[in-house]
Amino acid sequence: MMANLNGRSRQENTYDAIVVGSGISGGWAAKELTQKGLKTLVLERGPMVRHLEDYPTAMTDPWDTKYPQGKLPAAELKAQYPVQSRTGYTVTEYTKHFFVRDDENPYTEEERFDWIRSYQVGGRSLTWGRQSYRHSPMDFEANAREGIAIDWPIRYADLAPWYDYVERFIGVSGQNEGLAHLPDGQFQPPMEMNCVEKAFKSRVEGRFGERRITMGRAAHLTEPTEEQLSLGRSKCQHRNMCMRGCPFGGYFSSNSATLVAAERTGNLNLRPNSIVTSLIYDAKAGKASGVRILDSETMKEEEYYAEVIFLCASALNSTWILMNSTSSRFENGFGNGSDQLGRNVMDHHFRVGAKADVTEFADKYYSGRRPNGIYIPRFRNLGDAATKKDFLRGYGYQGGASRPGWDRDLAGEGFGADRKAAMSQPGPWTMSLGAFGEILPYEDNRVTLNHAAKDKFGLPTLSAKVTIRENEKAMRKDMQAAAVEMLEAAGFKNVQAADLGYAPGLGIHEMGTARMGRDPKTSVLNAHNQVHECTNVYVTDGAAMTSASCVNPSLTYMALTARAVDHAVQAKRKGDL
Amino acid sequence: MLNRRDAFRGLALTMGMVSVGFAGPVAAALPPLAWTPAALNAEQARALDAAAELIVPKTDTPGAREAKVPQFVDRTIATYLDKTQGELLKSGLTQMDVDARAAHGKAFAELTSAQQTALLSRYDQEAAAARKAWKPRHFFSLLKEYVTIGYFTSEPGATLALRYEPVPGEYHGCIPLADVGKAWAL
Repeated sequence: MMANLNGRSRQENTYDAIVVGSGISGGWAAKELTQKGLKTLVLERGPMVRHLEDYPTAMTDPWDTKYPQGKLPAAELKAQYPVQSRTGYTVTEYTKHFFVRDDENPYTEEERFDWIRSYQVGGRSLTWGRQSYRHSPMDFEANAREGIAIDWPIRYADLAPWYDYVERFIGVSGQNEGLAHLPDGQFQPPMEMNCVEKAFKSRVEGRFGERRITMGRAAHLTEPTEEQLSLGRSKCQHRNMCMRGCPFGGYFSSNSATLVAAERTGNLNLRPNSIVTSLIYDAKAGKASGVRILDSETMKEEEYYAEVIFLCASALNSTWILMNSTSSRFENGFGNGSDQLGRNVMDHHFRVGAKADVTEFADKYYSGRRPNGIYIPRFRNLGDAATKKDFLRGYGYQGGASRPGWDRDLAGEGFGADRKAAMSQPGPWTMSLGAFGEILPYEDNRVTLNHAAKDKFGLPTLSAKVTIRENEKAMRKDMQAAAVEMLEAAGFKNVQAADLGYAPGLGIHEMGTARMGRDPKTSVLNAHNQVHECTNVYVTDGAAMTSASCVNPSLTYMALTARAVDHAVQAKRKGDL
Repeated sequence: MLNRRDAFRGLALTMGMVSVGFAGPVAAALPPLAWTPAALNAEQARALDAAAELIVPKTDTPGAREAKVPQFVDRTIATYLDKTQGELLKSGLTQMDVDARAAHGKAFAELTSAQQTALLSRYDQEAAAARKAWKPRHFFSLLKEYVTIGYFTSEPGATLALRYEPVPGEYHGCIPLADVGKAWAL
């Protein structure tokens, strides 16, 4: 046995449960496991980020930035963040400490693949977009109905109570709409639409019966519950500086909510700087006995043991751990008898839509910075002839109206007092719509383990080859055309269509590389997110997704995680693990 | 009409100023610069100091100088802009003195405000023409951009020329513009 690598006894390093990762899924696993009484070790590869204390830029005023508007110099972006900066919005002076340095975290792009990562306690729950939608019954049935990939092993009804449970805890503001294809939820009051959005809603809904304009469902507190207040969270203050970390706990993150709840049970041990390099497989028992880690600070290896292990390291990193966990039982990667591990990479394709000028409401404005926009739920391929298109699945729009400020035309003509006065006033209203579309699971959209390229720890790295296909390209045309159609129907002016291009990964919704399914021959995980071939290992992050839907996925990861922990704790009690 | 010798004299004077770094007729005629440049030489800094205040002048709210915009632009050249952009700004600021001397025999900072405004108007028209023709960017366009950013992200600019509310608390989506009065800083 390889234990005691640094002198600690096996007993000292044994827990009831181990959770790998502390992001949106890992935080939920930690909360649920500890609240159900399990002594739980959370292993996080990145450094500690304490709520409130470790948000260094949360209150930085515009005049206190080092660089103009907090933008990083091109040379720094190129040298340190060549991938992370591809989004155009993630890596700034305000936020760069919450994203990985690409020069220190290499991977191979066989085709362009934008892998945006946050290695720290809280992971990307600190920097996520906070849009929170349920997958619908239609989403869980689509693969089976259309003969695409494999069927989900669960249906909406299996997850619905867990969506309820998660929404109540995290706090989601939004509007129930009674739509079958975008299920209602447990919402706090929705944020307000502005004048232009309200006009857009009434005009477009009046013209197109199947289209609904609703307020974005966002994980922000608008009417906090006792439970949320007791965790130290408070109402969203409409600062819209979320990615810096919120000193009010106004939006949901692991740091502000799940890890706080887990900590309070007394059952949590959180170990940052701990890169899990592989699962330890006990061939005699036929199950995993623990994990091996590399301490990124001391460079020492260590082993930790538990009866149940949750992989929540993000889709591609949980997959990496499984791929790197080889043994005589699992020569081709842990639980990979199906050869599906690393395949079916999905994301949401976007950056296509339209914008328009609005000449009305010139005497109206708004106050506050709403960290949210409007949402137009999917209206294509809803099962009837009227909505059927020449592509499968659908897309939803996120968008909104606003008045640009002083920076609307920095290089425009003029100077002096007149220009100063003009720039001190808001510009005319504009409205934009951007679509987010479903990507189908393709077996050859995959990541593989690359032993030829090692990282600074000497660990193998991932290689990605992911592309969008005809279905997505056909959908993009419609995503653009329907946006134009609606802005024109609303009577707005100068409607301009745009397709700014999309590369896989850019949606930061990686999914599908250890998919759930009914058959171990064609899937990695079962209906409870257990590895088919080793049932005391659960994978509950994006890797588990069998199809992508077109809605933002984090809410579903959280619901899957809470449901899987419930299963694990019951199975453990029954001695089934 | 400017003859060859006059032109040479103007150039020699400029070069001499650069190499000495201070003093000369310009420094004697103007109060000393209130800040120490990091990226610019003394003359470029003077030209910037004068131009910034003309681009965003003091009105019922503070102007660029009071908002320390010249220092901001200098710092931006020193730490943020790439070399090409930095050189474009620096050579542009030098050109302002060359053009001022050619027209009026004095450095840009020494001209009357009407003379300065006329020169900047010429640059502004050239910049607009270059933009329309997709030609390489004119230095004045870049200068205006960073003077404007520097001003509206400064504390006086954000809090006095605009409305600044770091913690709004609420969002109200449809209120009279008159109730706010100005554009939001953020």
